[in-house]
Formats: sequence, structure tokens, C-alpha cells
Amino acid sequence: MSAIGRGRARTNIIAAVALVAIASIAMLVAGTSPIVGFAALARGSVGGTHQVAETLVQTTALLFPALAVAFAFRAGFFNIGAEGQLVIGGLAAGVVGTIVPGPGPIAIVAMLAAGALGGAGWGTIAGGLRARFGGSEVVATLMLNVIAALLANWAVVGPLRAIGAESGETPSLALDRTLPVIVEGTRLTIAFPIALALAAALWFFLARTVAGFALRAAGDAPFAAARAGIDLPRMAVFAFAISGAIAGLGGATIVAGVLHRFNVALSPGYGFIAIAVALVGDLDPPYIVLAAVGFGILQSGSLAMQSLAHVPKDAVTLVEGLAIVALAARRTIARLTA
Amino acid sequence: MTRPALELRGIVKTYGATRAVDDVDLDVVAGEIHALCGENGAGKSTLAQIAAGKLAATSGEIARAGTIGLVRQHFELAGRLRVWENVVLGREPQRGARLDARAARARVSDLATRTGLHVDPDALVESLPIGLAQRVEILRELDSGPSVLVLDEPTAVLAPSEAEALFATLRALSRAGTAILVITHKLSDVLAHADRVTVLRVGRVTLRADAARTTTETIARAMVGGDLPMLPARAAVTVRKRLVARAIGTIDGRLRDATFAIGAGEIVGVAGVDGNGQSELVDVLAGMRAHTGALALDGDELAPGDPRTRIACGIRTIAGDRQRDGLVMAWSVTENAALGDQSRTEMRRGPLVDRAARERRARAIVAEFDVRTPSIATPVAALSGGNQQKIVVGRALGFAPRVIVAYAPTRGIDIGAAALVHARLIEARNDGVGIVLVSFDLDELFTLADRLVVLCGGTIVHACAREDFDRPRIGAFMAGLSS
Repeated sequence: MSAIGRGRARTNIIAAVALVAIASIAMLVAGTSPIVGFAALARGSVGGTHQVAETLVQTTALLFPALAVAFAFRAGFFNIGAEGQLVIGGLAAGVVGTIVPGPGPIAIVAMLAAGALGGAGWGTIAGGLRARFGGSEVVATLMLNVIAALLANWAVVGPLRAIGAESGETPSLALDRTLPVIVEGTRLTIAFPIALALAAALWFFLARTVAGFALRAAGDAPFAAARAGIDLPRMAVFAFAISGAIAGLGGATIVAGVLHRFNVALSPGYGFIAIAVALVGDLDPPYIVLAAVGFGILQSGSLAMQSLAHVPKDAVTLVEGLAIVALAARRTIARLTA
Repeated sequence: MTRPALELRGIVKTYGATRAVDDVDLDVVAGEIHALCGENGAGKSTLAQIAAGKLAATSGEIARAGTIGLVRQHFELAGRLRVWENVVLGREPQRGARLDARAARARVSDLATRTGLHVDPDALVESLPIGLAQRVEILRELDSGPSVLVLDEPTAVLAPSEAEALFATLRALSRAGTAILVITHKLSDVLAHADRVTVLRVGRVTLRADAARTTTETIARAMVGGDLPMLPARAAVTVRKRLVARAIGTIDGRLRDATFAIGAGEIVGVAGVDGNGQSELVDVLAGMRAHTGALALDGDELAPGDPRTRIACGIRTIAGDRQRDGLVMAWSVTENAALGDQSRTEMRRGPLVDRAARERRARAIVAEFDVRTPSIATPVAALSGGNQQKIVVGRALGFAPRVIVAYAPTRGIDIGAAALVHARLIEARNDGVGIVLVSFDLDELFTLADRLVVLCGGTIVHACAREDFDRPRIGAFMAGLSS
């Protein structure tokens, strides 16, 4: 388990209660009964098969970049660039899905691989800068997000017109090139079990492999790790490559599973919300899955809250922001309740 | 006996269920140097802070004849200010609303001359070596004219000659009427310079004695609550060259032209004042730093390596800053026991961690080094410094090392743990390991080393064999007075 994540069950509960209380006050200020508001949130997110499926679609979209952020974090790096890696991964998948010949399943595998590779490449730029010049990965990844968005924009209005791109998106994928749906009549695809399997694999990697041990050492105590023979620059490149690959794979699953094309607006900021998901999940894959479900509920329930209870969707953004504040305050809470 | 300048009666300080100080009586009278001894965690610093009024006691009475000055272990000086500014800080002489710089400066020079604590009043504090920075700290406390001066481990950072000078100054202050309380764990300081000694163990007084009528053994026994482990005899070892350094140095010149050899079964001590090239030497040997010159291990030239290859060929380092460079504080004993050996075939199964091997290794270290820990799953942050260090040393001595580079391996740990570390190092030596022992404690070097080299200004200025160890002479080389 991470250095930050030990024995805080009680503080987590206190933080959650505080969060609900503050959200309730926000709803009262907005002129809605909190009971009505939360009921709408619940109905919109878990009120039926369709709602649950949609919640898990959101969970999946958040889980990939959250695992990406956590992986880099465990190695000691703050990857703010999951958003950009996700976009590049999605772009690569969209292009490959349009141009690669052959039967559907092979095209799907090629799209996912292209997404992972694209994200890995984008992440490696930041990792390489960090390893080679010691540059701040925070600044690098933040800038690379902007570059990724601009690059995607340019690609779809420029060179990709050759393959039929227009209005900011690549052509629709043939149906046999989209991810198989696992709940009939919904958008929930095999991307969800893939994300769960990935979480399990990362947990195993960190807890049980020699490379995972070295990665955690680099993250938790870089000076001691260096003296223990762990090559920190190499670790930076490795961690960013894998982190980028995970985020890029997430982008590819949105393209192949949800949008069925690459669109420049494929992410409403999943890569940023993912930072909060990763931290709420204590950078520990099993808990990150739980956190992603929680944030998925907020994401998909917020629309219902707006239409049924007239609580602005921004209230959910507020709650997400508060979750980060609560997280930052956890040390203080822990001290006060010790 | 006159009325004490400081009188503590029945002092108790509790933190939760722990009694850090447990019913302690202590008097310090004007004109004496009183030594307060004890292991880490015995309650010395807590008691000092209570005496100085920096910390409230849970119960007990304190009578002070005047004010108390406390010189802490970690100085609290403003590095960007000048010496005189630091000394008068908070008590600045004023002319109208303005600082009277001339009067302040004169006051500081006068105080320095009267006490013999000479230091340039206009120097920037951050530019001063540690011995002079300590003088500034002492001057600052003396500036308020205290009746009692408390010093927390004042000699821990000083060269022998600096420590002698400090005690001479303290003696002069005590003759002039200041009561002095010195907290220390250096028993040689106590017998040489104190009038009376009080020993604390787990918060209670276990010995009160006149320094002239006690021995280091008595004090040590009172500190640890029993006898110390005996050091093993040094076996006669046929010395064959193990590690040879020819003219090694660092690019920045902090280590220059160091040539020496370490035999298999030999402890070579590296003496010197901190900051004279010791950490650079250790880093070069550990593969942490690029260097000039050449290194050979058992006759084979060593490539300018990285820590990984050095570990692989059997050169292990006991880092000076164990919490930063030696351990992952949030990790368990088990995981820390594997750090550095993670790639070894004994510790893994292919790409996977061999958890059983790891736990066996952790249990072995805990048993051999008497690590006091609730379990091998306990995070090392929860252990005392001495027990943390036992893990670091135990880890370095596993898997048959050829060379051990130990950097101040007993600094800041209690004497029981230190004695155990010493015993294990001698055993390793007897088994044929070549040991480089960098230490700032001459007693430790004299106890363990077969040979000594003295580092001063980044070069080796003196080398001598065990039979020629001579404290004043080595002290002079350390201080750069001989060449």
C-alpha cells in the first residue's frame, strides 16, 4: 500500500460525511431540498439497468486515466498529462480503425494497440525530458496536454481529411470494428472488464514483481532507491511510458466503444478528474476502482439532478472539487482526530 | 552548597501513555558543569526543554534563580543574517524606533571577547563552519545574561580540538558564576570535563555521581540498565589487498588524490571533521558519483560504476543518513530488508518477488541484530533510530559482501545498539571483509580500526597503523594544524 494510504478509514468516513454535508448546503442555497437532490442523483446513476450501465461507462472512462496517474505517482512522478495521452491514444485508434484492412476483431486489437502505443509515446516525451534534463514533469505534461489537443485538431481538419475526416472527427467505424457491448441496449462494452483486469494487473505488478518493488522504492524514497541500485532516470522513462500507455488505451476504448470515431471533444476532462480519482483511491488499484465507481455515479447522476431536481450540473463539479479539498485536508483531519 | 541556580523536583512529562520524564529531581548550582547522560529517548532533551521553560511539565516543581539559555542540538540561526544580528535578534538595542547597529555590534564584540568565543561579528552565519555557528548560538544565549546555560549534545558536531576549546570556554563561564548543564552521550567528555553527572534511563534517574569518583563503565551500565555486549576479539588475519584506490578524486575537487588500500579482514578508519571529503569518498566507493583515478577490487579494475554494479560485485554501503539514503521509512521491515538485494536470484523467482525468501531474510536480520520490532510487517518509521540502523547494517552484511563502506554507522543511536553494530563489524572483519569506516567519533575509530587515514580539505593528510594511534597527533591533522 502507498505511503500516503495507511489506516485512514476513519478520516475517509469523516471526509465523506463532510462532503455530503457541504453538498447539502450547496443544494439548499440553490433552492432545492438535499433529499430531492440526492434522490435524483441516485435515480439518474443507479435507478435502472440503463442508468447503471451508463454509470459504468463513465467509471471506465475515468478508470483508465486514473490508473495511469496512479502508476506514475507510485514511481514518484506527477503525471498531469493523462488527458493529453488519452487524446493522442484516441486519435491513433481512430486513424488505425479507419485505415487498417482486415476483419473486425483484428482491427479492434490494432486500434487498442495503437492507442496504447500512442499514449506511451506521448508519455515518454515527458518521461524522457525528466530523465535527461531533470525538467519538471508537471510543466511538461501540462504543456503536452495543450499540444495534444492542438495536434488532434490540426490532424482532423488537415491531413486526416484524406481518410474522410470532417467537422472535427474521423469517419464512423464499421460496426464490426467497435467494442462488443456486454449489456444489450446500452453503451457498456468489454472496455469495463478490460479496465478491471488492468487494475488487477497493476496491483499485482506493484505488490508482487521485482520491477514493481523498484518502482515503489523510487517513488517512496528516491535517495534510498538510487543507493539500492535502482536507475531513477530509466524509471522515469518506464513509468511515463506505461502511464501513457494506460491513458492512451483508455482513449482508444472511448473511440472504439463509445463514440465509434475519434472526435476532438472525446474527453470532457477525464484526464484531470482522474487525478482526483487516483488520489481518493489512495493510489492503490483496488481502491481506485471504488473511487472511479463513485465518481462515475456523480458524472452520470448529475444530469438527472439537473433535470429532475433543478440542481445545476455545476454542483457536481463543486462536489468533485470539494473531494480534492477534503483529500488535501485529510492530514489535518487525521491530526485532529488522533 | 549554595542554593541551586536551577532546581527541578518531581518532574513528570507524559505523552499519551508514555512517561517521557518520570519523577526526576535535578539541581544545577552556579560554578559547576553538570552532565546529563542517557540513551536516545531517555528523556534528556525533554527534560532540558522543561528546565528552560520551552515545554510545560505534566507535574513537578521548577525553581530558577534567573533566566535559562538553551543551546539546541539543531541550531536555530538565521543564515542570511550576520553574526551580530543573530546574537541580538529579539533584544536589539534601539535608538528611537531604529536599530542601533553600532551599539549592537559593539555589544556582541565585547561579549565575544569576554567569553573567549571569538567569531567575526560581521560574518554571514550561513558562511560559517559548524563549530563557529555553534559559538554564535552560544553567544546568543549568553547575551541575555542567563544564570543557567543548557547545551544539548554540543560536541556531537565538533572536532576534538573544537570540543576541547568549547569545554575550556564552558569552564571559564562556570567560574564566572554561570551554572552549566551539558547533555551528552559521550562518556569521555563527562569524565574529562564535568563536575557531577546525572544519568537518565527511560525517563528516570538511574545514577547521580561526582564525575571524579565514577567510571565510564558505571555510567554506561546506568544508561543501558545492564552490561554492554563484549566486543569480539580481533582475529589475526593475513591481510591480502581487497580494495585499492589510486589517486581517486571528484570533479568538484572536494575529494582529491586519495590513494589507499583496504585489506580483506581489515578495518580502515577514516578520521576527519565532517565536510572534509568523507561523503564524497563514500559516494565514489558506492558508485554514486563520477570520479577520477582508479579503483580495483581483488585485482580487477572497477569500471566507473553505478550503485547496481557495485552491489553486484559485493561492495555494500551503510549510508550516513539512514532515513533518507538507507530506508524507505513507510515500508515494512521485510521490504526494507530486501532493498538493494531485490535483483539477487536468492530474493526473487524470475520476475516475481520471492516473498518467503524475503521474510526469511527479514527474520534473520531481526534475530542476528536483535532488532526490537513488534513484527517484520511493522513500518520502520515506527522503530527507534538504533533499530533502524540495525536493519541497515544487517542488510549490508548479508550475502557475503567483500567490502563494507560504513559512514558514521553509530551516529545518533543508543550505546547498546552501537555496541552491537561494532561487534558485528569486527566479526565481518574477522571473516575477511574489507571495511572502510568513516566516523566522526575518535573513540569509535580507536576501538575498531586496524589503520587510520585522516581526511582534511579533501585529501589524505595522515595515515597510521593501530599501534601508532595517538589522539593529540590525529586531532592536529584533523584540524589542519599539521601536514
